[in-house]
Amino acid sequence: MKERVTFWYGCNVLRHGDIIHACLDILRAVGYEPHPVGGPDYCCGTVRDANQAAAGGMATRTVAKLNDRGARVVAWCPSCHSHMHDFMERANERQFDTSYMVEVLHDRRDRLAPLLKNPVPIRVMLHRHVGFNELVPVNRMVPELLAMIPGVEVVDGGYTAPGYMCASFAGLPSALADIHANTVRAAKASGAEAVVTTFHQCYREILGLDAAGAIPVYNYIHLIARSMGLAYEDEYKAWKRAGEGAAELIGAQRIAKVGVTFYERAILPELKRRPKLD
Amino acid sequence: MSDRPVIGQRLKEFQRQEVDRILDACTRCGKCFEVCPMAQYSKSPATDGKAVVPGVLAVLRGEAGTPEALGWIAVCTRSGVCVPACPHNVDPRMMMRLARMTALGGRGLPKQIEAKEDRDYFDRVRAFAKLQLTEEEQKDWT
Repeated sequence: MKERVTFWYGCNVLRHGDIIHACLDILRAVGYEPHPVGGPDYCCGTVRDANQAAAGGMATRTVAKLNDRGARVVAWCPSCHSHMHDFMERANERQFDTSYMVEVLHDRRDRLAPLLKNPVPIRVMLHRHVGFNELVPVNRMVPELLAMIPGVEVVDGGYTAPGYMCASFAGLPSALADIHANTVRAAKASGAEAVVTTFHQCYREILGLDAAGAIPVYNYIHLIARSMGLAYEDEYKAWKRAGEGAAELIGAQRIAKVGVTFYERAILPELKRRPKLD
Repeated sequence: MSDRPVIGQRLKEFQRQEVDRILDACTRCGKCFEVCPMAQYSKSPATDGKAVVPGVLAVLRGEAGTPEALGWIAVCTRSGVCVPACPHNVDPRMMMRLARMTALGGRGLPKQIEAKEDRDYFDRVRAFAKLQLTEEEQKDWT
């Protein structure tokens, strides 16, 4: 019998429906019965540093909802997972076990390996950060998962970015520019053909390098999914590459759901943003 | 009187206990600052960690931080390199996180640094859900 788990994907990964859908298929394939939850109603509260009353309320509500599900929580988002560890579970009665997606897949790699049937011939460098790795050793585990994919060669570029993920650099453009430049430099120096991220927050930021033509970028789930034959389209990458032309790919019907004005003010600028490269 | 807990009260209490623990344990040796890969990006750069850390502790006490301390707090992105560097198990990452929350005005004390506000944050998440999930998935998953 498959273990029921709650797949707590977070908020911002909703940009990447392909990652969420692929994760669910992968979890099912390695022996779990996942139920996905996420979005603002399951916010951990980590984005509310400037309002701890609100953050505390969000944490209490979300822990209660996850308690009600009565199953182990598999977290996708490193911010949610670390906030659970650092604050939420220390101020609320957590009644479920927690695991991070990478460690779940790593733990089930004996079941994952035979599912990785399609070769993905590519030499990749993992985009690493220092922060989260102390909680879950993702900088070791993700390369080990990638190395199981036929055709994938993982090279070490010798660069580890500061911070725990790229989105936390939103207000620090010079530091983010350094990360972009160092990532490209390390990838080229190591002979990598592509950069692979562990976190969706890094994928979103580093994807600008792909859109600018500097180097292709993937999330590790994309490569696992491709090897398993899961055919989810990475629409966000297509939109990012298209920039101003993304509206045509998204289509008028979908844009109408979010509103043209909101799309142009709050979504299009992100899709058009490119890193400054030397 | 209602016995319903005040929203966020337990988090507030946990944070108060952590602040007390940190203020008690920190010896102001400055090792956390010296190893920080983000200190170079501060708007008020400094070289002497022994001079910067007392300003961080002042923020935790609800007092005014020095420009060097506030500059460091503003650029903390939770690298965590400071944690093993601390000889007294203070957990400087937690120290800096709480100092950031405090300096942003998040713990009810005067605001000392500004955060980049993203007024569309949650609406943008909801919008991407509409673009990426079916209506049934939105109903069941979010």
